[in-house]
Amino acid sequence: MDAILQIVITGLTLGSMYALGSVGLALTYGTMGMFNMAHGVFMTIGAYASYTAATVWGLPLPVAIAFGILAGGIVGALMHLLVVRFMLSRDDFQTTIMVATAGVAILFQDLILKQFGAYPFKQPVQIEGMFRIGNTVIAYQSIAIMAMAAVLIGAMAWLLTKTRFGLAIRATAMNQNAAKLMGVKTELTYLQVILIAGTLAAAAGILISSLASLSPGMGTNPLIRAFVICVVAGLGSVTGAGLTAIALGVMEAGIGYYFGARYGFPVMLGLVILVLIFRPAGLFGKQGVIRA
Amino acid sequence: MSRFSDLQKNLFILAGVLAVIAALPLFITQRYFLGEIVLFMIWASVAVQWNVLLGHAGVFSLGQMLFFAIGAYTVGMMGVFFDISPWLSMPVGAVVAAVASFAIGLACLRLDTAYVALLTFAIVFMVSSLISTDAECFITEGGLCTPLFGGGNGFSGFGDLGFRKLLKGKWILGNYFVVLGVLALSLMASIVVIHGRLGLAFRSLGDSRVYAAARGMNRTRFHIIAFVITAFFTGLTGAVYAAHFRFAGPSLFEFSNLVFILGMIVVGGLKSTWGPIFGAALMMVLVELAKSWGDIQNSLIGIVLIVFVLLLPKGVAGASTKLFGFLKPKRKPSA
Repeated sequence: MDAILQIVITGLTLGSMYALGSVGLALTYGTMGMFNMAHGVFMTIGAYASYTAATVWGLPLPVAIAFGILAGGIVGALMHLLVVRFMLSRDDFQTTIMVATAGVAILFQDLILKQFGAYPFKQPVQIEGMFRIGNTVIAYQSIAIMAMAAVLIGAMAWLLTKTRFGLAIRATAMNQNAAKLMGVKTELTYLQVILIAGTLAAAAGILISSLASLSPGMGTNPLIRAFVICVVAGLGSVTGAGLTAIALGVMEAGIGYYFGARYGFPVMLGLVILVLIFRPAGLFGKQGVIRA
Repeated sequence: MSRFSDLQKNLFILAGVLAVIAALPLFITQRYFLGEIVLFMIWASVAVQWNVLLGHAGVFSLGQMLFFAIGAYTVGMMGVFFDISPWLSMPVGAVVAAVASFAIGLACLRLDTAYVALLTFAIVFMVSSLISTDAECFITEGGLCTPLFGGGNGFSGFGDLGFRKLLKGKWILGNYFVVLGVLALSLMASIVVIHGRLGLAFRSLGDSRVYAAARGMNRTRFHIIAFVITAFFTGLTGAVYAAHFRFAGPSLFEFSNLVFILGMIVVGGLKSTWGPIFGAALMMVLVELAKSWGDIQNSLIGIVLIVFVLLLPKGVAGASTKLFGFLKPKRKPSA
């Protein structure tokens, strides 16, 4: 019983970080068909920005977190304005954008490495201490992570479903041309979407680094999990990505507990491939995949 | 129209290119530069194979370094555990890579482009993290523990191609021509695929997937064939890499390697036949320059990648086609 509770807590912590990391990726794919290889670097940037704000500039924690989140959004917006904007109308957008964003990823990863070095810093943005329920130890940090993820994802869900701004995004995702004809400025919508994705990724990066540590390559691991989550949920399904993230987080925690942390991801990936054999468009995917 | 088919013309160009590379050691004698050319040939071969897959077959695989590593690891493992000469283990490595690619292809290639990219990327990541976190000793020699797949250090110091004994100080020349031979095979295969019947199938699938399917072409089958062929030659290249450097380790899986080779293809020109070779040469020069400017090669690769995708999406090959239409009269005006 204790073991199960522990697994659930660890899994929910993992899952909420994964969810935060993958809903942005799903949102950009769903709206503009863009697979962002630089999404992991947004996480790294967010983590390092809040580290810099807290440790180097000595700002209070809430300000540091806000600064980190903002930094991710700004870098995302810059990437859109300088690179993505010019490629949107290409025929092979889906593939070339992956190449371009891979370039952005390696560029920023290298710049961060040059600026901060490879030393794994400790993320100052965290809460110490823990409490117990029965024999299960729960760190305050876990609660903070789940709360922050819930607040941010909730805010995004509210934006998407309850505001005119969200309506424009959903309309663009459904049918870009129809949205344009109804007066939606799709160019602006794309910018907003990348901005949202950047902020969410940065927040995920801050949370992830609070459990592990800061390193220039820290974005790769969560990025690949976000990939897998989006694929199994069905590319572009935002709600699906959130739910799948939490399910996979709990599953990974369980596998890690019983078989060792090394096998958490491989088993997860194996299951994902199994799922795709029976449902090639993912669990929540709407588009049919051409099988021929 | 000339008397020769595209295939024959390109094979003639191939003979010329190979002759030039084979003649280079007459003028370049410093071991450092010869080593750089060997490295160039290795990456060029990987880039050429990847271009067949990415540019021609339309399979967006990000798993090429896995097949490269399989070839390299086969040579490394057979060398360290059984003391088998690379001459024997190199073809084995290529076959193992092809078999692995068949299994991965069956699982992934049925899916849509973006899914293929992400899954292959995830599989490579999984394999590399499994290998580098493995700490269980498979053999222990002189207090030195070697896990089954080499762990975080990989394999090194195993038997070489035998030229150090045979040619003494000029051993690198022997390796040079072995690598050149592999590059020749890899290029020849790519030309036969691109300009042969398989290439025709790829072109029709690229032009109209639905119409091609209606004419009875099985997209998944052609993709798997392309995947296995390119994996075979990528694996062979990885094997010769291991034989030359006497090293195979998890550093092969690094993201920067993948982007470096992607850069070669993009700079050279996706969908061209010869672009990746020029791209490989240009990227090698660029990285050499970056080293002398102070270790900024990854930033530079990133910038080059972005600039080329934005401004010259068809790469050097595309730009030169525009400038000198007569150099490549066979290319269609637009894909």
